[in-house]
Amino acid sequence: MNELTIAMPKGRIFEEAYELFVEAGFDLPKEINDSRKLIVEAPEERIQFILAKPMDVPVYVEHGVADIGIAGKDVLLEQLRDVHELLDLHISNCYIATAGLPNTMMNEIAPRVATKYPTIATNFYKEKGEQVEIIELNGSIELAPMIGLADRIVDIVSTGQTLKENGLVEYEKIVDISSRLIVNPVSYRVKSERIRAFVAQLKNELIKR
Amino acid sequence: MGKIQMFEKPLGMRDSFPEVNEQKEYIRSTARNFIRNKGYDFIKTPSVEYFETIGKASAIDESSLFKLVDNQGETLVLRPDMTTPIARIAASKLLKEKNPLRLAYYANVFRAQQREGGRPAEFEQLGLELIGDFSAYGDSEIIHTAVELVKELGVESFRITIGHAGLLTAFLTNNTNTVQQVDALRQLLVEKNFVGFEQELDNLGLLQEQKENLTKLIDYTIDFKVFENFRAYLTNEQQYLINQLEQFKRLLELQLKDPSIVSFDFSLASHMSYYTGMLFEIYAAGSGFPIGNGGRYDELFKQFDEQVGATGFGIRVDRLLEVLPKRDVEEKHTLLLFTEGAYLKANVLAEARRNNAERVTLQYIESVHDLDVYKQSFDEVLIVSEGGSLRE
Repeated sequence: MNELTIAMPKGRIFEEAYELFVEAGFDLPKEINDSRKLIVEAPEERIQFILAKPMDVPVYVEHGVADIGIAGKDVLLEQLRDVHELLDLHISNCYIATAGLPNTMMNEIAPRVATKYPTIATNFYKEKGEQVEIIELNGSIELAPMIGLADRIVDIVSTGQTLKENGLVEYEKIVDISSRLIVNPVSYRVKSERIRAFVAQLKNELIKR
Repeated sequence: MGKIQMFEKPLGMRDSFPEVNEQKEYIRSTARNFIRNKGYDFIKTPSVEYFETIGKASAIDESSLFKLVDNQGETLVLRPDMTTPIARIAASKLLKEKNPLRLAYYANVFRAQQREGGRPAEFEQLGLELIGDFSAYGDSEIIHTAVELVKELGVESFRITIGHAGLLTAFLTNNTNTVQQVDALRQLLVEKNFVGFEQELDNLGLLQEQKENLTKLIDYTIDFKVFENFRAYLTNEQQYLINQLEQFKRLLELQLKDPSIVSFDFSLASHMSYYTGMLFEIYAAGSGFPIGNGGRYDELFKQFDEQVGATGFGIRVDRLLEVLPKRDVEEKHTLLLFTEGAYLKANVLAEARRNNAERVTLQYIESVHDLDVYKQSFDEVLIVSEGGSLRE
């Protein structure tokens, strides 16, 4: 059997996905979470995990250095990489929405939108036929409307708590997001039996949930 | 964009340095001999074509075309593929002289890149087209030739996945209500977005039975190896597809030494919209992207007002280079450094060695910038002076 390389996002999604793997019956080492290693072996299953930044997972998979990856749909929509999207893992469920200060309209002269997701934001406003200026930020997006940088933000909403604490309200929901199992197109063919078995085992667990 | 640096090239353009260039030359000559032996003739076509004809007929997305304007105001394109220009030549001239026609090419094609400047926007493609044959024998010949060629070029581990555009269209059409639905689902299959495919099934408002049938395409509950399984999902008029496929598979099994490297997957769909019959992709261990693809594209000829069958494939040379094991070239390169007054003597010596199939560089010693560094590029160094030659 071929070895499988799986790119995993560090952080919260990793823990949820790892738990899913264990419950699906994969024999994985217990101590994986505490380590600071970037590559972790699971010799019993002949699986190698690569721990990466969530935004980088599709890059590893697209180039084939990882056969499989777990990536948020937000990242997939933003980057449009050439990877196969095989399973919705139904973990880390959230959605992307626009938000801003309560009871405000878009500035008519210079409407500005701040976001970590310029592609998703651009497409959303393009489809609505609104011309806006997209400002790309790397974090703390909620700041933008508070200090007058932008009228709206486009960002991930999971509980809405962060918005609330910063005095923002949600305006429009754009798209639902959850974590997906992605596969490199060549691995999908060259290691087809191994990958199909892997997917089937995960799918069984997902149906039970 | 900042100021362009003197050493910069346009986005996606690459230089081929000597070593890589030699590798490509090896691929070109090996492939050329192999393909010519199969009875195919090589041709060349212009790098620049009209947008109205080749640009529009090509299956490459318009946003990927390099466009120019000629001095008459006509829009031109740098050829984005070779299949379309070959179809043009075949339809306008060559088919009248020879039918069926076997043509081959090794050429650079141009596709503009939107993302990541490192991806090549110009790359070499190597391929062949069998035009004027509707039969399964033609399809089998193409797959067999692709397999043998990839082996001949030295790729050790590879797989070919075969789908069928006609069967997929029939299957999708029978289980949906509109053409738009077929296109939407096919696009998701091209992207291999199975999650999106299942979601779309819910959005389209299809009958339960339609949804169940369509789901079978992506969850492997139909065994793709047993074509008979598909008969139940096809109308009487569509049954011929299965007969054709059965014949095609029998021919492949006869022809291929190792049939296990090909497999069938009818969810395989291509962004090349002109495929009508079987289509396939070639995957090799070592590259994250398919190294080649091909299929039957009878539809393309309708754009040139011809009703002929055509099938073929292309291999991307840049991706092939990635998967090929490094080849050590066994050749000796000698440096003859000559001093003032020893020019004639050095020439005679160089000629004698070249006649012996040796590579010889002849160089006036005083012009060399850094002798020690320069010598490192050669296998042997000789200094020729009036007194005699001295081996280093």
